[in-house]
Amino acid sequence: MTITDTTAAQATRRLNTSKAMVEAIAQEMRADPEVFYLGEDVGAYGGIFSSTTGLLDEFGPTRIIDTPISETAFIGLAIGAATEGMRPIAELMFADFMGVCLDQIYNHMAKIHYESGGNVKVPMVLTTAVGGGYSDGAQHSQTLWGTFAHLPGMKVVVPALPADAKGLMTSAIRDDSPVVYMFHKGVMGLPWMAKNPRSIDVVPEGDYAVPIGKANVVREGTDVSVVTLSLSVHHALDVAEKLEADGISVEVLDLRSLVPLDRDAILETVGKTGRLVVVDEDYHSFGLSGEVVTTVAEHDPALFTAPPERVTLPDTPIPYAHSLEHAVLPRHDRIEAGIRKVLG
Amino acid sequence: MTEVPFPVMSQADPAAVGILATWYVRDGETVGDGQLIAEVQMDKVDMDVTAPVAGTIRLSAAEGEEVTQGSAIAVIE
Repeated sequence: MTITDTTAAQATRRLNTSKAMVEAIAQEMRADPEVFYLGEDVGAYGGIFSSTTGLLDEFGPTRIIDTPISETAFIGLAIGAATEGMRPIAELMFADFMGVCLDQIYNHMAKIHYESGGNVKVPMVLTTAVGGGYSDGAQHSQTLWGTFAHLPGMKVVVPALPADAKGLMTSAIRDDSPVVYMFHKGVMGLPWMAKNPRSIDVVPEGDYAVPIGKANVVREGTDVSVVTLSLSVHHALDVAEKLEADGISVEVLDLRSLVPLDRDAILETVGKTGRLVVVDEDYHSFGLSGEVVTTVAEHDPALFTAPPERVTLPDTPIPYAHSLEHAVLPRHDRIEAGIRKVLG
Repeated sequence: MTEVPFPVMSQADPAAVGILATWYVRDGETVGDGQLIAEVQMDKVDMDVTAPVAGTIRLSAAEGEEVTQGSAIAVIE
């Protein structure tokens, strides 16, 4: 057998993003009896976006807990358990529902550690499904990560790829701070959602942690930097591959977390290419995209050889109609246009 | 050589047809016994398919293809 043959037949264990996330939860639950998961339809149903599939069978209803539709109550329960030393994972079914339970999230979960002078820790994870693209309407399609990130006291992680979904979940559960773990429905690799080949990939087996706060260059390039996260990483990589045929070299930086924001990685990639396109599926104004541009402007605006471009969601509720929704989302056509614009 | 059948998901209809939703392996790859190789769907129900033996897998159905339950989706050599 030649070396080439060996490579071609190399056994690789692939998972979709949801299975990768579940694997991390299961491994941490086996290792630490203080870890438990609660939320709406996380038991027998397995999570409406397969965030907990199979966990009830292994861990039973005392550690995989179906809750009533009362987010304030069960997120409050998780906060209380966390302050007593447990490591709960509470699922807010859609980030859009934050409005009914925000007091628990930003006045309690995020502040207790500070208000107690650092004496009380809140080692919990708040998981939540985000994002649009499948006609679920204005109240079930938002990302809202900029809103969570704006409120101090919570880490905010946003995996794009299967291996990161596992590694960031491991780190989130082990972290002594509250971590908001936001998974885009479009990256989960679910058979009933739009097919997205990057949602299925090799995921390391066994113990695997990705440090929170480190961005990742998922594609190297020299002409322009696309700084992005979540499902937009997939789209940006698709566009980068297409533009390679036109001789355009696109670097893609996956931020992986908003809090902490890896500002050094942003400065490094923009320092390399001089041109920045921020692709953010959150609302345009007062959010992450402005923060990324400001990171460069405050450090050294001379890094920019062209004005930066933001490809974001317009400041409007997300339409239900498929054609209108796709018109406002930062999809391939708008990302390519943004790249071409900064290239002049 | 071991055939990997589309799992029987409908007892009521032996000729029920499902969809090969996702391949987790590629044609010609080496798989381990019990490794997740595919996800199939029937009537909005998903099911994982694992390798019954170790070996080199040859895929005989494409993603999105309709397959009658019980018929082969791959062979493992």
